[in-house]
Amino acid sequence: MAPTYQQTIAALQSYWDDYGCVVMQPYHTEVGAGTFNPATFLRCLGPKPWKTAYVEPSLRPSDGRYGENPFRFQQFLQYQVVLKPAPADVLDLYFASLEHIGIDLVRHDVRLVEDNWEGPTLGAWGLGWEVWLDGMEVTQWTYFQQLGGMDVELVPAEITYGLDRLAMHVQGKRSVLDLEWAPGVTWADVYLENEREWSTYNFEVAPVDVLMRRFEEHEEECRTLLERRLPLPAYDMVLKCSHTFNLLDARGALSTTERAAYIARVRDLARRVAQLYLEVDAEAAP
Amino acid sequence: MPKLLLEIGCEELPAWACEEGAAQLPELCERQLGRRPAELYAGPRRLAVVVDELEERTPDEWVKGPPEALAERAADGFARRHGVAVSDLEPRDGFLGVTVPGKPLAEVLPGRLEQLVRGFAFSRTMRWDEGGLRFPRPVRWICALLDSEPVEVPVAPSGRVSYGHRFTGSAVEVPSAGRYAETLREAGVEPDRAERFRRITEGLDALGEWSDPAGVLDEVVHLAESPVVLEGRFDERFLQLPERVIVTTMQSHQRYFALGGNRFGFVADGGDPDVVRAGNEAVLESRLDDASFTFERDVRKGIDRLAEELRSITFFADAGSFADKAERLVRLVDRLGGGDASREAARLAKADQASELVREFPDLEGAIGAEYARLAGYPEAVCAAIEEQYLPDAGGGPLPETEAGKVLAAADKIDTLTVSFGLGHKPTGSRDPFGLRRAAIGLARLAVDGGLRIPRDLLEPEVRDFVEERLEGLLDVPVEHVRAARASNAAELGEVAELARVLAALPDERLDRLHTVFTRANRIVAKAGDEALPEVRPELLQDEAEVAVARALAGFEASAAAAVDLDAVVAAAEELAQPLERFFEEVLVMAEDRELRRNRLRLLADVRDAVASRLGDLSQIPR
Repeated sequence: MAPTYQQTIAALQSYWDDYGCVVMQPYHTEVGAGTFNPATFLRCLGPKPWKTAYVEPSLRPSDGRYGENPFRFQQFLQYQVVLKPAPADVLDLYFASLEHIGIDLVRHDVRLVEDNWEGPTLGAWGLGWEVWLDGMEVTQWTYFQQLGGMDVELVPAEITYGLDRLAMHVQGKRSVLDLEWAPGVTWADVYLENEREWSTYNFEVAPVDVLMRRFEEHEEECRTLLERRLPLPAYDMVLKCSHTFNLLDARGALSTTERAAYIARVRDLARRVAQLYLEVDAEAAP
Repeated sequence: MPKLLLEIGCEELPAWACEEGAAQLPELCERQLGRRPAELYAGPRRLAVVVDELEERTPDEWVKGPPEALAERAADGFARRHGVAVSDLEPRDGFLGVTVPGKPLAEVLPGRLEQLVRGFAFSRTMRWDEGGLRFPRPVRWICALLDSEPVEVPVAPSGRVSYGHRFTGSAVEVPSAGRYAETLREAGVEPDRAERFRRITEGLDALGEWSDPAGVLDEVVHLAESPVVLEGRFDERFLQLPERVIVTTMQSHQRYFALGGNRFGFVADGGDPDVVRAGNEAVLESRLDDASFTFERDVRKGIDRLAEELRSITFFADAGSFADKAERLVRLVDRLGGGDASREAARLAKADQASELVREFPDLEGAIGAEYARLAGYPEAVCAAIEEQYLPDAGGGPLPETEAGKVLAAADKIDTLTVSFGLGHKPTGSRDPFGLRRAAIGLARLAVDGGLRIPRDLLEPEVRDFVEERLEGLLDVPVEHVRAARASNAAELGEVAELARVLAALPDERLDRLHTVFTRANRIVAKAGDEALPEVRPELLQDEAEVAVARALAGFEASAAAAVDLDAVVAAAEELAQPLERFFEEVLVMAEDRELRRNRLRLLADVRDAVASRLGDLSQIPR
């Protein structure tokens, strides 16, 4: 019997728990990827080692298709692992994790294909790969080089598993909708209605003028929090700006020039938050 | 003589990094070891060289010290620094010096090989630990052997250990430098790029006719250490998708090769063939499924509605939307003499920019717009023009075949150039982010090779210069002849090219004669500034020779206007040369009488202008 979706997630949790990661929980604010979770973005700044693993529901409003397209969703689950600094055997650790969830690396064709990551709103980039499993991209792999516009001090490895696709592979399913989430319960049972309603919201209902106002408010609040030297709440405002921007984008409310301007505004905040985080962190150090 | 192996073991290098590394290795070996490699290997997990016939010792080296004249002051210190007595210093060419004996190769190798590994210049590198070495991906081991002795290279764990195939092989000990390739092959790795390339192409050939329009083969050869070519099939229901969409889906995401119909070839790096095939087939089908979803949504919308949506899509910051661009294209095709088909095609040309499929696969622009136009029932001439609008898309690439396609392709390039230059985005040096050089070359080729009549006055002066400068590289004639022709009043781009060719084909003695008289006329007029009368006053023409020139000039104008081709114009100009030569002999242009002088200058200026407008500025051509 193939493991259920939740068993696959549990297997990854136990694997990285055994390795010594701090197993975190999903963040409470909307993020476009596990990278935005402060457990990755902020913890990867500065000189302190850090190992973490967690599930992250990632929201990409523009990718929604009302649940009609079995390959496009406005929400999908990532499994995020960060090892800072990256140990020399980090790839071996990753491949062993695939074996741990039941993938036979000799029977399958596993490949690392160049794929470099850039997060313009975070002023961040890194080099890495997408991992192919019999031609299917199942993981995004990145050695961060810059975050918040600054060179990283210790180079972290970020491993982002595409849980839906890995589970499809493990269960031999052709559609995410058909994944067995728990015994007798499919992915569609859990999330299909969610896709329909949120796609409608993202594309049709989300109020553009309110969103624009909200963006300004979050931005303003972020500045205030920066002045009060509270980088963690300030970072949440960056996330809210970023998600609001994604919604505006999904609503088709932004021209190319406006898009670039919004991205630059978020990046500027992210950069300032990152700098403040490092300052506060250094002051707190014993 | 000793043989050396150096293998730089990496995490999976991108294909470009394998190629850059392989290209630099010979030079690096030469610099650090004094010899180029006898064997060179490049692949995703290793860059390696075998260098043979090395010298056992490095050569003795003479180190130059202070001049003999300063021996008293400086010899002592110099000798001490080199650990010898002053009496051991040898004079040579007026200087004292010391012979530093060479060292055994094994002693210098660690330093030399470290320099070698640090000496690459890749176009993109990263850091991964505190070691400070930069490379396109982390370097995890070094396997270095001098014959059969391991060499320590202090950039990564080093010795005689290498690693076989990531999943089917394991760590292996390489017994000696000469047995490197053989050891790796036993461990499931083909280190030689050429051999992997051969295996892949043979494998594909065995599957039948294969195509690779996106050129993924050069990447695939570095995506596997033990390549196996497999064949897959997808469900025939996807064959209703346009072939371009199928091939692009295969190539851009999956690096597959189209075999025609529902078959595809792909390269795996191991695994159970049946399992791997089934997995890849499923992946491709889900990609095609996704493409079908997108395609059908676009088709449901239809090309006319897509065209309406262009109003909200920016073409260029500060240059309006794609709808504005479409309106400009309609006006441009009119001015290029395009008919109804090209006008309709111009209106719809950019509609696919609003489609989801182009957002997904930008390479499909044009092709997919044409497909949507076909599905909406537009005439084939319109659809073909939409499809051909981006041609030629590479230096020597094919031109549009249809008339409407040529007109639209030219209009698109003219608009892009005009808008970009207007916004100050001129290409500088090697930077040309908007592909303006390619657009300009394409436009020039549409005129020269495609025979399209492109009025020069459609181009703003700066754009016109930029495009015509491309003619200099495009035509197989000396640049000076092109420059001369550009100065003519030729109305169309193609005529400039034609004139440059005619001038270049002219026998030397004929060109010499024209050049001499007209350059002389030019020089005299230019020197006199603006003294010439506004127009020739016939009553002031006194000498027979100047009357003859005036008559010949009128004759030239008449013959040139009636000329069937440029050769006839050249012949007419030659008719004008003879009276002009006589004029220079018999008439003093700079006459004492101011009015006479001004009239003669006018006459010469008229001759110069008449000839220059037809044949260009001959003074550009060096004689």
